Amino acid sequence: MMRRLQFFGTLVAAFVLAAGMAHAQGDPKHGEKVFEKCRACHAADGAANEVGPGLGGVFGRRAGERDDFRYSPALKRSGITWTPQTMNDFIADPQKMVPANRMPFDGLPDARDRNDLIIYMLQVFK
Amino acid sequence: MANKMKEVDAVIVGLGWTGGILAKELTEAGLKVVALERGGMRSTANDYSVPQVRDELRYVQRHDLMQNTAKDTLTIRNNPSQEALPMRRLGSFLPGEAVGGSGVHWSGHTWRWTDMEFKVRSLYEDRYGKDYIPADMTIQDWGITYAELEPYYDKFEYMAGVSGKAGNIRGQIQPGGNPFEAPRARDYPLPPLSTVLASQMFSEAAKNHGYHPFPRPSANASRAYTNPDGARFGACQYCGFCQRFGCEANAKGSPHITVIPIAMRNPNFELRTHAWVTKVLMDSSGKRVTGVTYTNVLNGEEFEQPAAMVLLCAYAINNVHLMLLSGIGQPYDPVTQKGIIGKNYCYQTGAGANLFFEGRNFNPFISAGGTNATIDDFNLNWDFDRGKHGFVGGYTIGSGFNSALPIGYRPVPRGTPSWGKEWKAATAKWYQTAMNIGSSGSVMANRYNYYDLDPTYRNAFGLPLMRMTFDYKENEHKIGRHAAELINDIAKSMNPTTFTPATARTEPWTVVPYQSTHNTGGTIMGTNPKNSAVNKYLQSWDCHNLFLIGANVFVHNAANNPTGPVGALAYWTADAIKNRYMKNPGPLVSA
Repeated sequence: MMRRLQFFGTLVAAFVLAAGMAHAQGDPKHGEKVFEKCRACHAADGAANEVGPGLGGVFGRRAGERDDFRYSPALKRSGITWTPQTMNDFIADPQKMVPANRMPFDGLPDARDRNDLIIYMLQVFK
Repeated sequence: MANKMKEVDAVIVGLGWTGGILAKELTEAGLKVVALERGGMRSTANDYSVPQVRDELRYVQRHDLMQNTAKDTLTIRNNPSQEALPMRRLGSFLPGEAVGGSGVHWSGHTWRWTDMEFKVRSLYEDRYGKDYIPADMTIQDWGITYAELEPYYDKFEYMAGVSGKAGNIRGQIQPGGNPFEAPRARDYPLPPLSTVLASQMFSEAAKNHGYHPFPRPSANASRAYTNPDGARFGACQYCGFCQRFGCEANAKGSPHITVIPIAMRNPNFELRTHAWVTKVLMDSSGKRVTGVTYTNVLNGEEFEQPAAMVLLCAYAINNVHLMLLSGIGQPYDPVTQKGIIGKNYCYQTGAGANLFFEGRNFNPFISAGGTNATIDDFNLNWDFDRGKHGFVGGYTIGSGFNSALPIGYRPVPRGTPSWGKEWKAATAKWYQTAMNIGSSGSVMANRYNYYDLDPTYRNAFGLPLMRMTFDYKENEHKIGRHAAELINDIAKSMNPTTFTPATARTEPWTVVPYQSTHNTGGTIMGTNPKNSAVNKYLQSWDCHNLFLIGANVFVHNAANNPTGPVGALAYWTADAIKNRYMKNPGPLVSA
């Protein structure tokens, strides 16, 4: 288990670094505001599952991996590993990237909103 | 022998909108509160999330969130000369059950009722004379004013996340809103919902007739929202499964995502589910209640819950039933017109036309609970002269989509066979091309529309069912005919390929099909104990520590949906209890 955690820890670090080019610049304060749109379903501290899964440690995780949340078969089958890039693509139009996923959210069309949201998420959902 | 529980400050019967509001407000004021809910616990995460919530068979055909008629129902008849029979299946109206009550499966339409209702008798008598109101129309002023309720409407709208466009802010008419609404202190907390093709086409036609369409105010969050209590709403996804369903996106203002979880975090509060209250207990003086008895429906165990204060917050019908079963107040008798409990039961009326436009795609599956445009020109508009038409009250007209579901929504033109190959072909052909224009009309109280206990039929607890005696009277027929004519004029002007015209409801009322879950009256509010069951603070005239909160206190039924005034009155009563009654328990209005 420990090794597994370390492995993901390393992965997250790697993604943050890899993301550096696309996502280093941004406004996490604005990102926090954007995250208000998610708050009806996702806990702010990332811990508890509410209507949506807790997002703590999401980066580096495979989609649909938490065994204490009932994900849609579509998301489980998606084969996505969450990186800043895949999160960006997903949240832009969730039904386009993963048809039949069951998150009731129509997406963030604005690239800056997505960028700042992901910067914020990288900070709080380590 | 019932198990006697420890006395609490207040017991709440039924945990929906009104029970939830009172639970939150009174526990915050430091009272020890127990809520008894006859249904189970429900939450968005466990019960209303996708995909299981999108199940029309379970929630619409099989009424999963509604009262089970095998346990308790009403007997129904149209007039006192008939023998009433039990309503064995739900149809015309759908009382909710479980935590959240009907506040879970409503559409969200949130209106402000005004002095046009609260001063109904004086307004009509002043304008048209005393003889204008028929002798058997038992309407009266409510004893409350719009000005008194305004801050509480505001509080409910901001708590429930209502999307809409103000039409009148402090007397200034606002473009795009309802110009006939009473002045409000500020706009809605959220902008209106997106429009759909049907509401756009209707709005254009209504404007061409000189009417004033506006977006229907609805507790469907048009964008993500955090209410003043910190409860969080997601944005409405226009999923089309609103009325009769819980909201998967926490976008519909509902007690289970707002007031109830706040009460539940308070150590002063305790919720007991599956607790069916059978009686409110009175002391020997008959001037105070001492608590309630209830049965745990899972194992049949009986309990007595003593309380310093009893708040009846069940569905409007069930609050009246409990009063009759408990023998509090004098039951109403339509022959002698003596007694109060059961008096002035009211419903709503309506008419609708289906319009078919070959070549248009309405996408009826895309809708919120309130994706409608509405006109109030024949309701809140006092310039509309009812005298020419001889009725009291009015109606709204609206169009748009609201839960057009895959099994039940099958619009076909008049004359189409109701089953078989031709019907199938017609439903496929017209599904995308149909829209509806509908009206919702007021029902004025009538001497012969009332509730009492049924002499024959009993519920699962061996207690008499409540009997509903109701029919539309000539006043409602006139409203219906006027509305149908107006709708058909607008419909024709839109040049549909074909349309099924609206007709007034003049046949005797029946319990099928679904019409409206807006049942009002039975324990009406008023200015003195002779004309009402409760005072303006919804406090029983008989027992000062008993409050009846819900549409059961409405003196008549308006054209608009009742949840706005139900929510406002709940906050108004909570304030009266917190600020006045707790300091000095006793009658808040001297009789």
